[in-house]
Amino acid sequence: MAAAGGGSRADNGYGGQQARRRKGPGALATGYLVIYNVVMTAGWLVIAVGLVRAYLAKGSYHSLYYSIEKPLKFFQTGALLEILHCALGIVPSSVVLTAFQVMSRVFLTWAVTHSVKEVQTEDSVLLFVVAWTITEIIRYSFYTFSLLNHLPYLIKWARYTLFIVLYPMGVSGELLTIYAALPFVRQSGLYSISLPNKYNFSFDYYTFLILVMISYIPIFPQLYFHMLHQRRKVLSHTEEHKKSE
Amino acid sequence: MKHYEVEILDARTRDKLCFLDKVEPQATVADIKNLFSKAHPQWYPARQSLRLDPKGRSLKDEDVLQSLPVGTTATLYFRDLGAQISWVTVFLTEYAGPLLIYLLFYFRVPFLYGPRYDFTASRHRVVHLACCCHSFHYVKRLLETLFVHRFSHGTMPLRNIFKNCTYYWGFAAWMAYYINHPLYTPPAYGDDQVKLALAVFLFCQLGNFSIHVALRNLRPAGSKTRKIPYPTRNPFTWLFLLVSCPNYTYEVGSWIGFTIMTQCLPVALFSLVGFVQMAIWAQGKHRSYLREFRDYPPLRSPIIPFLL
Repeated sequence: MAAAGGGSRADNGYGGQQARRRKGPGALATGYLVIYNVVMTAGWLVIAVGLVRAYLAKGSYHSLYYSIEKPLKFFQTGALLEILHCALGIVPSSVVLTAFQVMSRVFLTWAVTHSVKEVQTEDSVLLFVVAWTITEIIRYSFYTFSLLNHLPYLIKWARYTLFIVLYPMGVSGELLTIYAALPFVRQSGLYSISLPNKYNFSFDYYTFLILVMISYIPIFPQLYFHMLHQRRKVLSHTEEHKKSE
Repeated sequence: MKHYEVEILDARTRDKLCFLDKVEPQATVADIKNLFSKAHPQWYPARQSLRLDPKGRSLKDEDVLQSLPVGTTATLYFRDLGAQISWVTVFLTEYAGPLLIYLLFYFRVPFLYGPRYDFTASRHRVVHLACCCHSFHYVKRLLETLFVHRFSHGTMPLRNIFKNCTYYWGFAAWMAYYINHPLYTPPAYGDDQVKLALAVFLFCQLGNFSIHVALRNLRPAGSKTRKIPYPTRNPFTWLFLLVSCPNYTYEVGSWIGFTIMTQCLPVALFSLVGFVQMAIWAQGKHRSYLREFRDYPPLRSPIIPFLL
C-alpha cells in the first residue's frame, strides 16, 4: 500500500513550477534535504544492486531477502525522518499522510517480515522489496533533482507512470506476506496478550493483521486513483509547457 | 429613518445571491440571515456564515447592521457551513450511547462474552461500583446538557455527530468489555486502591459540576455574553485562581480516578486521549480569554496549574 511513489505528497516537488505562496525551505534546509535525498537514493541503489548480485550468485530469485536485509531495514526506517521534515515545515506535505505511509512501510519491514522469521523465505517478500526499491530510487532522485531545480523529464515521467505497475505489485507482495505470516502468529501468540492479566487488557495480533489486510480495501484504491489523477495533472501540464516553448 | 440595502454574494464565486432592500439599521445579522433564508430556504440561518470580507471572520448573530463598517448599501459574503445539528442533540446522543453500551456489557447481554456467561454477574465488588460511577458520570452529563449548560453556538456541522459518537461509543464499549469481563482482575492493592480512587472520582465529579454551575451563572439566560470566571464561595471553584478551564481539570481527574479504580489499560488510554483533547481546547480557550480581556489574571494556566 505504501509501494507507490509517496502518493499524496506535494507531487509537483520543490521545482517551483507552481506559484505557491508557501515559504519553502531555506538554503540550509535545502542543502540538508539534498543530502538526505541523495543518501536515500544511494541506499536504495545499494539494495537494488544487492538483489541483482545475490540473484546472479545464487542462480535463483528465492530467499534473496537475506542479502539485503540490513540495508533494507536501515534505509526504510530512515524514512521516518520524512515525518520530521513535514512537521518542521521544510517539506510541504501533510504530516499525517506522510506518517501514515512511512509507518505502514516500517510496520511491514519490522512487525511482519523481521518478526515472523518464517515468511522471510517467501517470494512475496521479493515482490514488495523490488516494488519498493524501484519506487524509492525514482522518488528520491525526483526529490533531489527538484530541489536542485533541474528535473529531467524522464524522472518525472517515471515517477508518475511506473507506479501504475509498481503500486499493485507492492500491495500484492505486502498482502501475501502478511497472509503468509498469519499461521505463525496464531501458533506463537506473537505480540499478543490475553486475559486474565493485571492490566485488564488484551490484544490479538492475528486479528490485528487481518484488520490491516482488510484496511487495504478502502485505502489502496483511494491512493491509486489519487496518483492517477496527479499523473494527469502533472504530465499534461508539462506537455502544454513543452508545446508553448 | 434611513433604510439600508444589503446585497449578499457568494464568498467563493461572488455570484449575487440575494438583494435585500429597506433593511432597518437596527436589524441584526440574525435578522438578515432570516431574510436571506426566505429567498433560499435550503440555507437555514444556522448554516449561513455571513462576513464582510470573503476570507474574513463570520459576523456574529447579535451584531447590529448600523454598527458594522458598511455604507448604507452593505455587501455581505455568504458561505454555506453545511448541514447543521444542534449541540444539545449531539451531546444527548453522544452521552446516551456510553450509558447504555456500558450497561449491555455489565449485564453480560448475549453475544458479548461466551454463552455460559450470559446474564451472569461479576463476583467483584469493584465491578459493580465501576458501573455505578460510569453510569452516574453519563447521567450527570445528560442532565447538565438539559438543565445546566448555556451554549454560545446553537449548532455544529452534522458530520461531527458521527465522529463524536464513534469516539464516545467506541471507547465506552472497549472499556466496558474489559471491566465486565468474566476474567477481569481486580485492583492490585484491593479495597484501599478502590477507596482512594472513589474519593478522587467523587471529588472531581463535584468539582466539575461546580464549575459548570459557576459558568452557567456567569451568563444570563438567552445571552451569549462572555465574562472572566472567578472563584465563588464554593471551594471547588477556587481552582479558577490557578486554571482557566477547571472543568477540564476536574474531568481528567475523574477519569484518572476511574482508571485507578478499575486498573484497566483501556481506561487509562481513554483518559489520556481525553486529556490531550481537553488540553488543546483549554489552550484555545485560555488564548481567547487573553485576547478578549486585558485584565485577565496572569497566574492562570489553561488546564494544569503552573504547567500546561
